[in-house]
Amino acid sequence: MKKLSAKDVTSEILFNKRRNFLKLGAASIVASSALVDLMAKENLPLSNLKYLKDANENDLKLNTFKEITSYNNFYEFTTSKEKVKDLAKDMDTSSWKITIDGLVKNPITIDVQDLIKKYALEERIYRFRCVEGWAMVVPWIGFELKKLIEDVEPQAKAKYVKFTTKYDTEMFPDQSRGVFSSITYPYVEGLRMDEAMNPLTLLAVGLYGKTLEGQNGAPIRLVVPWKYGFKSIKSIDKITFLEEEPLNTWQAQNKNEYGFYANVNPKVDHPRWTQKRERVLGSFFKKKTLAFNGYEKEVGHMYKDMDLTKNF
Amino acid sequence: MKKIIWFVAFLPLAYMLLELFIFQNASDPIKYIYSITGTAAIAILFLTTTLSLWFKKLVKHRRLIGLFGFFYAFLHMANFLILDMELDVLFALEETLDKPFIYLGMISFTALVFMSVTSTKILFKKYNKYHKVLYLVLILTTIHFVMAQKSLSILQFTYLGIFAVILLAKINKKTKFFTFKEKIKA
Repeated sequence: MKKLSAKDVTSEILFNKRRNFLKLGAASIVASSALVDLMAKENLPLSNLKYLKDANENDLKLNTFKEITSYNNFYEFTTSKEKVKDLAKDMDTSSWKITIDGLVKNPITIDVQDLIKKYALEERIYRFRCVEGWAMVVPWIGFELKKLIEDVEPQAKAKYVKFTTKYDTEMFPDQSRGVFSSITYPYVEGLRMDEAMNPLTLLAVGLYGKTLEGQNGAPIRLVVPWKYGFKSIKSIDKITFLEEEPLNTWQAQNKNEYGFYANVNPKVDHPRWTQKRERVLGSFFKKKTLAFNGYEKEVGHMYKDMDLTKNF
Repeated sequence: MKKIIWFVAFLPLAYMLLELFIFQNASDPIKYIYSITGTAAIAILFLTTTLSLWFKKLVKHRRLIGLFGFFYAFLHMANFLILDMELDVLFALEETLDKPFIYLGMISFTALVFMSVTSTKILFKKYNKYHKVLYLVLILTTIHFVMAQKSLSILQFTYLGIFAVILLAKINKKTKFFTFKEKIKA
């Protein structure tokens, strides 16, 4: 055993420095654990995004983080809205790349992390209305799709934008079921160019201040608040600019029941159920569904010459 | 035996109430009540028609089991009128006449009301021959169940498969269309 000599003794200055450092560390642990406690009490996740807050001028009542992350339609996992959360728990969305191609001057394949750095994030508190008749209010974090479109510069011919969800049979169990899968994959959605350029249209990367959970469409998804939820495609792999209207998944599945536009419209029922009212999650009572989900002022002009009973 | 039937028949209701009010796991309560009561009603009614195939001891309790099926159908209906339509009878009527999905359920429920009312000893003697309408109810409610889904999962296809196989076995038993034993002899 080695004998200790005077030079092995820690100097007093260094000793006190270490002391202070440890105290600081302990204090910060206490502080952050107090924060964690508070977050847990409010059922909020730990924030990991920097963004501009939404003033919530319409005074919408937010659904809880738990509600938003526990009831999801994500057929790539399962058709059960309650079971998606558990199945999506191990979804690995690190180093996720998104490709922008088709009729654009600057096609690009970019890591979602780089996109997040490139565009300033902002919070958007939006109503979300599912075609099935339930609804919620979500504080999304993201950036306007418009900004991305301006950067890739669509050619004059480009009239539509097509979105495709990732096809990865290892990631999504229902995609690996082949002919026994519940719908045809990959999931496809589309917007007309003016819809895509509307300032309400968002590419969301988070909600409640935190990056998206798998079940909500991590790492990046579309949010089109005046359309039924199925238009707001999840876990995007590719954005393609086209001249022709793309055939979206639900229209391909059943064109008598689901169209290309899918604007929220209390005057046009789904053939099997009413769209006049909606069940807001977390409430036993129903509320009246609003035209364009309450965004008529912002988006109504885009459809003023269209017959919305035909273009449902 | 009766006690066991009462106990088992109340399990879906107990489970539903626990999930709704104690654990509060149901994000969309109206939808949740539809699913549990609808599934319980179809399963119990289907069971009553198949007792003679696999559980002869229960055949004499058929009436009680059938009434439990009606009980869940009644809750399903109450959910429609009270929570979903918020007692707006006119709106409920419009919706019913307008949508096949809803009137199939409504026709089935009407038939079940008829069967329940005529299930007393005296009335049953007179009306039992009409109780075969239950087979029609099962077919209509199965279509109603399929229509309630946006797309059918493989699990639901499996249920429908089992349903079809038992129905065929039942029809076969009644009509003696296939006589397996004779085939073996030959």
